Amino acid sequence: MNEREQTSMQDLAAAYALGALSPEETRAFEAYLAGSPEAQREVAEFREVSALLAEGAPGAAPDPGLRARVLQRIGRDKVVPLADRRAPTFGAPLPVWVALAASVVLAIGLGTMLVKTRRELATRQAAIDSVRVTLAQVETRLSEREKTLNSIMEPGVTLSLLSTTSAPQPRIQLFWNREKNQAIVHAFQLSRADSGLVYQLWFIKDGKPIPSVTFNSEPTGHALVENVTLPEGITHAAVTVEPAGGSLQPTSPVIMIGELKASS
Amino acid sequence: MPEHSTIARAPGDLQLIQRIVAGDERAVAELYDRYGSVLYAVTYRILGERADAEEVVMETFAQAWREARRFETDRGSVPAWLTMMARSRALDQVRSRDRRERLATSAAREDDSRAPAMGAWGNDPTREAEQNERKQKVVEAMAALSPVQREAIELAYYEGLSQSEIAERLNEPLGTIKTRVRLGMLKLRDALRPYYYESAV
Repeated sequence: MNEREQTSMQDLAAAYALGALSPEETRAFEAYLAGSPEAQREVAEFREVSALLAEGAPGAAPDPGLRARVLQRIGRDKVVPLADRRAPTFGAPLPVWVALAASVVLAIGLGTMLVKTRRELATRQAAIDSVRVTLAQVETRLSEREKTLNSIMEPGVTLSLLSTTSAPQPRIQLFWNREKNQAIVHAFQLSRADSGLVYQLWFIKDGKPIPSVTFNSEPTGHALVENVTLPEGITHAAVTVEPAGGSLQPTSPVIMIGELKASS
Repeated sequence: MPEHSTIARAPGDLQLIQRIVAGDERAVAELYDRYGSVLYAVTYRILGERADAEEVVMETFAQAWREARRFETDRGSVPAWLTMMARSRALDQVRSRDRRERLATSAAREDDSRAPAMGAWGNDPTREAEQNERKQKVVEAMAALSPVQREAIELAYYEGLSQSEIAERLNEPLGTIKTRVRLGMLKLRDALRPYYYESAV
C-alpha cells in the first residue's frame, strides 16, 4: 500500500481503464473518480486506448457461421427488455418502464400482425399465380383453336363426313387441305374408347387400308387431330377400334367410313 | 483533449445503438459486421479456444442487445463498450478456470497468425480501409513500446492480471510495474489519439 500512496490517484487512471487495479485500489479510485470530472475524462480516453488494443490481437478470424448464431442468440432474447424491468439499474421512473413494457407488448402485437399479413400476402400471391397459369392455358388453347379455324378456312379445303347408323350417332368431320395434302379430323358424339383401346383412322386406296393416326375422345365426346398427312390416291377414310398404339392392319370391324370427295 | 471530427456516415455506431434500443435486429447484424471480428480476435487471444471465444462473442452481442439503453455516450465509443464487455466476460471465464491448467494450455496454444488481417468489416470500403489503418497503427504503437512496457500491458490486457499480480509473476517491484503500465499507456494514447473509433469521447 505504500506504493499506492506514492502514486497519485490521477496516475491510476490508465491502469483502471485497463482493469489492472487490485480490488481495493479499484474501490479507492472509483471513490476519487466520482468527484473528479477531469479523471472521468481521462479514464474515458484510456478506455478508448484499451479498446483499440483489441485491434492488436492476432487476427484470428471468426467462423463465418458465427454471425448467424449471434443473430439467433438475439432472437432468443427478444423479450428480455421486459425481464430487465425487474432491475432498473439506471433508475428510470416507473412510468417510463411501464411505457417501455407497453411498447414491447405493442411491438410483439405488431410482429404478430406482420406475420399474419405476410401469410395473407403469400396466400394471395399463390391465388394470383394459379389464375395466371389458368389464363396461360386458356390462351394456348384459344390460339390453337384459332390456328385450326384458319386451316379450315383456307381455300381448297373440302369437308368429308364419316358416319355410322348406330346411336348415339358419332360423326367425324375430315377437313382436307389438298394443297398441303393435310387434314384435320374432328370427331363428335364419340364415346371414349375402352381402357387399352384407341380409335384408329385408315385411308382406303385401291380397296386396301393404309394406317393413319390413333386418337381418343375427350369426356365431352370431341376429338380433334390436326396435321394428318393424306397419302396419294385415296378414296375413303375409315375408323376402327384398335389396341393402344394402333395396328398395321385393322383388327376390328370398321365403325365409321366416309368417301373423300374430290375438290370442286 | 483534441477534438476529432466525426464524419457523418449512414448509419453511425450511435444510430445502430438507437435502432437496437428500438428493437431492430438488423442493427445488431451491422454492429457484428463492424466489430465482430475484432471482438472474436481479442476473446480468442484471451481464451485460446474457438468455442469459448464464440460463446463470449455471442453473449456480448446479446448483452449489447439487452443493455443498449444503458449505453452512455460520455463514457466512450460503441466499440469501446463492446470490447469492455467482451474482455470482461472472457477474463471472468479465464479466472474461473484453473490458472495452472490455463498456463499449460496457453503454452501449446495454436498460433492463429495465419488468418488475414481482420477479416470482414462489412461492405463499406471506406470503413474497411479505416479499420485496416487503425489496426496497423495499433500494431505499430504496441511495437514502439519498450518490451517490458508491452509485456506488462499485455499481461493486464490478455490475462487480466492486476499490477500486483504482474509484479509477482515477473518478480519485479510493484512500483516498477505501475510505472511501466502508466508510461506505456500514455505512449499508446499519444500514438493512437488520431485513430480513436468514431463517437469516442
